[in-house]
Amino acid sequence: ANMKLLLIFSALIGASLCLETFVGHQVLRIKTKNEEQVKQLQLLESLEHLELDFWINPSAPALPVDVRIPAVSVQSVKAFLESQGIEYSILIEDLQDVLDKEKQDMAESAQRERSSSFDFGTYHTLDDINEELDHLASEYSFVEKIQIGESYEKRPLYVLKFSTGGSRRPAIWLDAGIHSREWVTQASALWIANKIASDYGTDDSITSLLDKMDLFLLPVANPDGFVYTHTSNRMWRKTRSKIPGSICVGVDPNRNWDAGFGGPGASNNPCSESYHGPSANSEVEVKSVVDFIKNHGNFKAFLTLHSYSQLLMYPYGYKCTRPDDYAELESLGRAAASSIRSLYGTTFQVGTICSTIYQASGGSIDWSYDNGIKYSFAFELRDTGRYGFLLPANQIIPAAKETWLGLKRIMEHVRN
Amino acid sequence: ELPPSQFPASRASAVALGYLCYLRGGPGRGLQLRELRRARRQDIDDVGHKYYLELELEDVLDKARTVSCTAEVLYHLGSKTSAPDVQVTVQGELRSTEEADQEFYNWIRSLEKELVAENIPDSHGNVPPELEPIHLLAWVASGYLIWQNSTENTKFHLAQVKHVKQVKRSDEDLQFDYVVLLHEMVSQEVLPWQVTLLWHPQRGARVSQ
Repeated sequence: ANMKLLLIFSALIGASLCLETFVGHQVLRIKTKNEEQVKQLQLLESLEHLELDFWINPSAPALPVDVRIPAVSVQSVKAFLESQGIEYSILIEDLQDVLDKEKQDMAESAQRERSSSFDFGTYHTLDDINEELDHLASEYSFVEKIQIGESYEKRPLYVLKFSTGGSRRPAIWLDAGIHSREWVTQASALWIANKIASDYGTDDSITSLLDKMDLFLLPVANPDGFVYTHTSNRMWRKTRSKIPGSICVGVDPNRNWDAGFGGPGASNNPCSESYHGPSANSEVEVKSVVDFIKNHGNFKAFLTLHSYSQLLMYPYGYKCTRPDDYAELESLGRAAASSIRSLYGTTFQVGTICSTIYQASGGSIDWSYDNGIKYSFAFELRDTGRYGFLLPANQIIPAAKETWLGLKRIMEHVRN
Repeated sequence: ELPPSQFPASRASAVALGYLCYLRGGPGRGLQLRELRRARRQDIDDVGHKYYLELELEDVLDKARTVSCTAEVLYHLGSKTSAPDVQVTVQGELRSTEEADQEFYNWIRSLEKELVAENIPDSHGNVPPELEPIHLLAWVASGYLIWQNSTENTKFHLAQVKHVKQVKRSDEDLQFDYVVLLHEMVSQEVLPWQVTLLWHPQRGARVSQ
């Protein structure tokens, strides 16, 4: 039995390293009747060129002999046994089939173990989310957890990097939870991370995407705010930075980017939910992302998740004029909205930020667009106001699934 | 003519919906917007801006059921203290809630202790089934607040019922004192409002001043 395990172990190593396959190898069980037949088998054993692998060596007539025979030798060994009147039966018809099935079973059970330990259909704490990020990074060789900075209250800003190789490949940015009360976004980001990781290799679109590009996913862009929504105020939106001269706390991180900073659609009152902050990039949560993206230098798309309203928007927010790439972005936006709708019929309105929702300065996708990242989109996920920020947990996975279709549509376009 | 996907028409529909929820909502009926089909705006000199809307609404308790309606929303020029004038015409019949309304009424009247509840929905979006009628009545009350307080520069939604307390009365109305959180989309503020709602199965709802 140990021999068998050792064999299977080395076979798996071999198979995964593409050193050896066992296609066509057969395992026979031989029943010897007498000492004479045992001696014949021992003779066979000595013929090294046959490369026979005895799992149970010939020793005494009463004991069965199990032997693995390479494909090329199968017919001749059987002919030999038959000519000597030695009885045998086929234990394993094709060893490679058995190995493949076993590998698949192991993968499936590992997957079950994984998904049974993290429920994507419920809301989680920051600690649970970070644990799952570790889990994904350890399960998949092409997924890595990196830290791009620290929040105001010194919490790490963790990004999942999806990369199958290359060096500084063209990349896609995706973030969620910049506004902490928008819980469906952090939850969806986690589902999406798991989806991408587990579908690489089987889904054509994801596979061809990650074979050419890298993906960077920041599931909790505002961890301080997120913790605060769990511990103190479910409706908290901003960061938790102290503002000199004010009793009020926090800056709206999506008014803090260097794009029309301080203009219409942002407040200069620290107590306001849309307070832009003392200066552009004053919030470390924003600056960390800006620095990371600038240092990387090869981002092609910048996608950000918010809730609620069911909107799919592109620049600009800080001014009410159309971007140069209006036609392409509008068309791509419509295609993505159509993909979203195909799943459950959920409709997303498409347009520039300024015309769709309101004029708002200092927003992230305006910054990314003005810094050369053409495919900049902001999603507002479910719903349209019935539950708003308090979206029931049973809608997380449907929301994540439909959003993923929209994101995928955009990513495919970027890839091409 | 206004594009339905853009904010001016969508803000006006929120006002129309708030008004309709106040008038026709109840513990057994909540209405939400399925689709804004068409919108027009008329600028009336010395008066204000008038929006003409064609809406498709759905019953939150029976999503398969939709009803069409037309609405007119007039935002008065300049005055910040005057509520918009709203008219809504529903095409067809709304599902009858007589039985559910009566059941709810009897249940509340039978309670020995006055009903008190908070955080509806909770942080995870849950609403205990027996509190759903209370949630829907909060929509009615919020509908009133939204109608009364909207301008062309605001869009309100009910974010959460922070607190609700039933107050027993000597007459036949039910009274609920609500603290609701309203989310205002343009400023992104979530602010508490106190509102007292009176309701009767036959007479309907009204906000008590």
